[in-house]
Amino acid sequence: MTQEAVLQFKDLDVKFKTEFGRVHAVKGLNLEVRPGEVVALVGESGSGKSVTATTALGLLPKNAAIGGETVVGQHSITKLNGKQLRTIRGNHVAMVFQEPMTALNPVIRVGEQLTEAMEVHGVAFGREAWSRAVDLLKAVGIPNAERRAKQFPHELSGGMRQRVVIAMALSCDPEVIIADEPTTALDVTVQADILDLLRSLKDKLNTGILLITHNMGVVADMADRVAVMFKGEIVEHGTAEEVLLHPQHPYTKRLLDAVPHLGDGHGQFGSKVNPVTTDELALEVRNFVIEYKRQGKKPFRAVDDVSFDVRRGEIVGLVGESGSGKSTIGRALLGLIPAHSGEVRVLGQDLTKLRGQELKKLRRRIGVIFQDPAASLNPRLPIGDVIAEPMVVHKIGNAAERKARVHELLDAVRLPRSAYNRYPHELSGGQRQRVSIARALTLNPDLLVADEPTSALDVSVQASVLEMFTDLQTEFGFACLFISHDLAVIDSLAHRVVVMQYGKIVEKGTREEVLLDAKEEYTRRLLAAAPVPDPIEQAQRREERHRLLESLGDEVVELDTRELDQ
Amino acid sequence: MFKYIAKRLGQSVLILLLGSLVLYVLVINSGDPLEDLRESNDPNRENRIQARIANMNLDLPWYTRYLTWLGGAARCVIGQCDLGTSRDGQSVTALVTQAASATLRLVIVATLAAIIIGITLGIVSAVRQYSGFDYGVTLMAFVFFSLPVFWFAVLLKHYAAIQFNDWLPAGQISLRTILISAAVIAFILQAALGGHWKRRLATFGVIFVIVGGVLFYMDAVEWLRRPAVGLPIYILAVIGLAVLVIVLTSGFKNPRVRNAVFATAGIAIVGYAVMRPTLMAERTDPETFRGATLLLLGCLVAGVVLAVLAGQLLGGFSRRQATGAAVVTSLFSSALAFADLMLSHWSGYLAVMPRPIPTIAAVTPNFYSTYWNHMIDTATHLILPTVALTAISIAAYTRYTRASMLDVLNQDYIRTARSKGIAERKVITRHALRNGLIPIATIVAFDFAGLIGGAVITETVFGWQGMGNLFRVGLEQVDPAPVMGFFLVTGSAAVLMNLVADLAYAILDPRITG
Amino acid sequence: MTDNNTPQSQPVTDEESQYSVEDVIDQTTDKSYSQGQLVMRRFFRHKAAMGGLVILLFVIVISFTSIGFGPIPGWWDKDFMTPSTVQNGGAPTLKLWPFQIGEHPFGQDTIGKDYFALVMRGSQVSLFIAFTVGIIATIIGTTIGAVAGYYRGLTESLLMRTTDLFIIIPALVLAAVFGRTFGSNVPILAVMLGVISWTGLARLVRGEVLSLREREFVAAARAIGTPSGTIIRRHVLPNALGTIVVNATLLISSAILTETAISFLGFGVRPPDTSLGLLIQTYQNALTTRPWLFWWPGIFILTIALCVNFIGDGLRDAFDPRQTLD
Repeated sequence: MTQEAVLQFKDLDVKFKTEFGRVHAVKGLNLEVRPGEVVALVGESGSGKSVTATTALGLLPKNAAIGGETVVGQHSITKLNGKQLRTIRGNHVAMVFQEPMTALNPVIRVGEQLTEAMEVHGVAFGREAWSRAVDLLKAVGIPNAERRAKQFPHELSGGMRQRVVIAMALSCDPEVIIADEPTTALDVTVQADILDLLRSLKDKLNTGILLITHNMGVVADMADRVAVMFKGEIVEHGTAEEVLLHPQHPYTKRLLDAVPHLGDGHGQFGSKVNPVTTDELALEVRNFVIEYKRQGKKPFRAVDDVSFDVRRGEIVGLVGESGSGKSTIGRALLGLIPAHSGEVRVLGQDLTKLRGQELKKLRRRIGVIFQDPAASLNPRLPIGDVIAEPMVVHKIGNAAERKARVHELLDAVRLPRSAYNRYPHELSGGQRQRVSIARALTLNPDLLVADEPTSALDVSVQASVLEMFTDLQTEFGFACLFISHDLAVIDSLAHRVVVMQYGKIVEKGTREEVLLDAKEEYTRRLLAAAPVPDPIEQAQRREERHRLLESLGDEVVELDTRELDQ
Repeated sequence: MFKYIAKRLGQSVLILLLGSLVLYVLVINSGDPLEDLRESNDPNRENRIQARIANMNLDLPWYTRYLTWLGGAARCVIGQCDLGTSRDGQSVTALVTQAASATLRLVIVATLAAIIIGITLGIVSAVRQYSGFDYGVTLMAFVFFSLPVFWFAVLLKHYAAIQFNDWLPAGQISLRTILISAAVIAFILQAALGGHWKRRLATFGVIFVIVGGVLFYMDAVEWLRRPAVGLPIYILAVIGLAVLVIVLTSGFKNPRVRNAVFATAGIAIVGYAVMRPTLMAERTDPETFRGATLLLLGCLVAGVVLAVLAGQLLGGFSRRQATGAAVVTSLFSSALAFADLMLSHWSGYLAVMPRPIPTIAAVTPNFYSTYWNHMIDTATHLILPTVALTAISIAAYTRYTRASMLDVLNQDYIRTARSKGIAERKVITRHALRNGLIPIATIVAFDFAGLIGGAVITETVFGWQGMGNLFRVGLEQVDPAPVMGFFLVTGSAAVLMNLVADLAYAILDPRITG
Repeated sequence: MTDNNTPQSQPVTDEESQYSVEDVIDQTTDKSYSQGQLVMRRFFRHKAAMGGLVILLFVIVISFTSIGFGPIPGWWDKDFMTPSTVQNGGAPTLKLWPFQIGEHPFGQDTIGKDYFALVMRGSQVSLFIAFTVGIIATIIGTTIGAVAGYYRGLTESLLMRTTDLFIIIPALVLAAVFGRTFGSNVPILAVMLGVISWTGLARLVRGEVLSLREREFVAAARAIGTPSGTIIRRHVLPNALGTIVVNATLLISSAILTETAISFLGFGVRPPDTSLGLLIQTYQNALTTRPWLFWWPGIFILTIALCVNFIGDGLRDAFDPRQTLD
């Protein structure tokens, strides 16, 4: 309470007028951010957290009715006109957006996008602005900054782009930065670096940060204070330790219970998977290679000489960051991508050698769940048809039998039978993913390929889907290749784990071997970078990670203020 | 990049070849080339039929005729075109050379006008989505989209030419017309500029007074018959232009751009003041016309070069923007100078041609007069066909630009730009426009094909002896040579246009070249 | 860490539903709306499109019932071929106030033919050609576009090269050549125009299919072994329906303009039959002397094309509503 707040929300109230009536997005919210402090605003989708943050820049669409006040420094945003508002934006309050891939203009050079804000706010002009832009890029840890500044966004990786977005936010020394899910779209190791960068920023520049996130691990890693939002209201508010370790409100408790905790192993969400009792193999992958042809260049090896197997009734977690080739393997197992060489034996038969009817017969025994519940159901078919589709394709049963089977499956995935006639757009994300699971189980498959089945879901929904999935696996006993980037999710249900990087297997073994006692450097980096939702434990883990990085000869990312003082 | 262009050109040549074969076969099978003779009662009928068969080589198989034509056309590469002879024995090469310039002039002017006007309207209606202006533009676009071009052309002929010519010699603009026109223009502009209702009301008032005043003045001094122009007005116009360019590019805050633009404007004024007497000179000898045109072009090039220099020397840190703004200023001041020269000769032209807006032909036949009168003559002939052709094309550009801009304005990077505190004008021009234009570039090529088709019709309505006429008469007489001549020119133009569109695409989108 | 209150199949607890971000499925009703029904609902609320639809239906009904079609007689007592004496300079007898149809509501042409019958015949021909072109081009374009987009390979390069060909030979030029060849036979002319009009639609369908085939529900269908033909029919094309339907309407409106344009050039429908374009060409110089001979066919072309375009716009809005919060 020693310093004046740099960002305050006073009784903020936001309503949207839509075609389907009024939506009350934010209901009388009070919150403040002081200099050098990180306040985390936590909530699931639809909680109104992003809407709240957007009011600080006055960027809400015209159909929004705003009550109460948002104050940045001395300025009440709601009372400003367009021109006054623009002198605040970027200058006093800056924003870091979620999607680094789309937040930068694809046709303007990175450096020019940085200098723009400086010239608008009169911080620097021309060559001076350009050299400051290069300094900012250096400060956020971008190597070769002079060359990078002249490049276009598509020439930079996702992590690099997010650093550019942060550099852009820093360019005019704002008092407060709003970071809207700044690491959600990034890999864990990149996420850890970006969080380190943001943390050094508040320490070195005394900037206030409002962190919008749904990830409790990120909260534990970054936040000084936490506000939990649910359906437009703050239900709980306190220091990070108070809220994360001693939650009072039932929603906060529920939310925290739903977060998978790396190291807690099986049974986190109620049910445990059965131990594997057989040595019979459901899937056997030998020296598997997948190549993509490229015009004028030699083909790109997405999967390079990979071998692993899955026993009957076993869940094997396939882990890796983007570009590791894990999803490519999943798609190749489903016959969506041709293999270059190697063997894939499903229940003893080599998938790569089969053709026609034989192949079709084998496919009946493989089920699939995809990541995006919005895209994996045909929007034109009702749920009943979606689930019955595999039976229709393989000409199994008559109409009545199919209907009975669909009802059975709807019960199994805990959806009401009245969902039979609904269309996908009438269901929420979690419900759609349940439908996907039901479809995958229609033909009682022996092997299930699950490609990131929960990563597009909210935490609480993810927990209930994972619990249901575990129950189903116990009940039906299918073998499963569970592809995920999230180590904690894998930890909660896999028997064995395979870690991939750049198309190759880095490490494989039982869950305990890989996740609790990793041998390989890359696995240890991955494990060290995954945050846990406990501020005290996470602080220790962070220290350990920094020690690990130093022992491996890497630098810990931090804002290099020397670059900016010149 | 070079490899890509070469590959596209190679593909295009193959397509041209294929197209020529398809068209040739279709045309010679579209009817009986001897039909008119077979039906005639001429006693000499048989001889004439034989003569035509010999002349058109109808006794040879179709592929021999095609290959003969192709061989002749292929010699165009070495500059010795032989496109065969028409049914009546005229050299098609000569016919094409005469016709091509008129048609290409029409199509290119119409394309440019349609692109500029259509894209501008599209941007404004996207920015003012769901406003009265947006609905108005959308409705107009639909009407023009659904309008048969020949019907519109006939209406233009009647109202914009015949009735205007009737009205001009003694025409007065009535007070009612002045008030209504001023109100309509002011209403449209306030809708386009938008803002709070107070600002809209002010905009309306100011524009109403200006337009009304100008119309009143024009009526009082009989401006349409004796346009009062000259250096003082030119100077005022160029200064206004410079201010506009600065406001639209960097605003007055950036001293570098401001200085470069004003320097260019100064150069334009001084240069024009020096050159005007020379350019105004009465030339009647057709031999000197070529020199006069070269002189005009020279002035234009000199202006652009000086503008580039001004931008580079005075631009400082914002050199690129300053150069761009200076070049735009220079181009538009040249256009203003050209307009001034034309208007200064207008009353003289009226004395020779009391009905100035023609309804047929590309130039007045057997017209011998001064250089500037010929210039005005060509321009007035171009007006109506261009308007007809442009109006139809504008609609498509407006709709596509609007859709594309709306799409871009919903993108994340536009939100990023706004969150930096950039003024809305710059968000539109700098961030949204370049992205929005990317898909438009591909449409230009398709639209060009449509415009060639439109030109065939427009030329028919306005009685131009252009490429369209060549095609129409050739097809009517089942005479492949003129039709193929038409195809060669328009097809090559389309290939070129396609290439330009491809290049524009690559320039606009850095992701392509990578 | 674990939640003891794990529900199996029993009803959800109060706390769970109170603090859940998931909406509960309403089990009291079985009523649900398919995408198709939602599209229809939005379309019927689109005022301009409904206006266009009503007017277009009116024009279709009146033009086909008035003078009859083929062997079927109509309710109008004059036909478009028989000249009679020119009355009152051939001026129209239609009056709006007091309303009166009179002997020749649209007037008479120079040799006394009833102009209402002529315009009705012209509208019939234009509508017939436009819809035939629309149907044929949509079938060809959808098939080729879907095959090119789904299987890629040879069909795709064939499609792209054909499209290039049409950039070089304008559609109007080809249409005129076909008109010169088949002009006296309206049905064949209509089919030939359809055969040359499909490339634009095929390109759009191809683009749509290209993006749809990467969607996960198509991958899911392929993964369970659904044959390609079934995937295209059941999963891909229904989702490309918006593009297809909207562009089919654009095809129809441009076919009307193409037909009238080639008739205007003299390569389309031949006398004694007539079309709206031919009427305008015949009377383009009558604007000062007998303006009705010029205005009526033009207004009919404009009306038909405008109505079809408005319907297309309504369909586009209905299929692609962009009903997002921002």
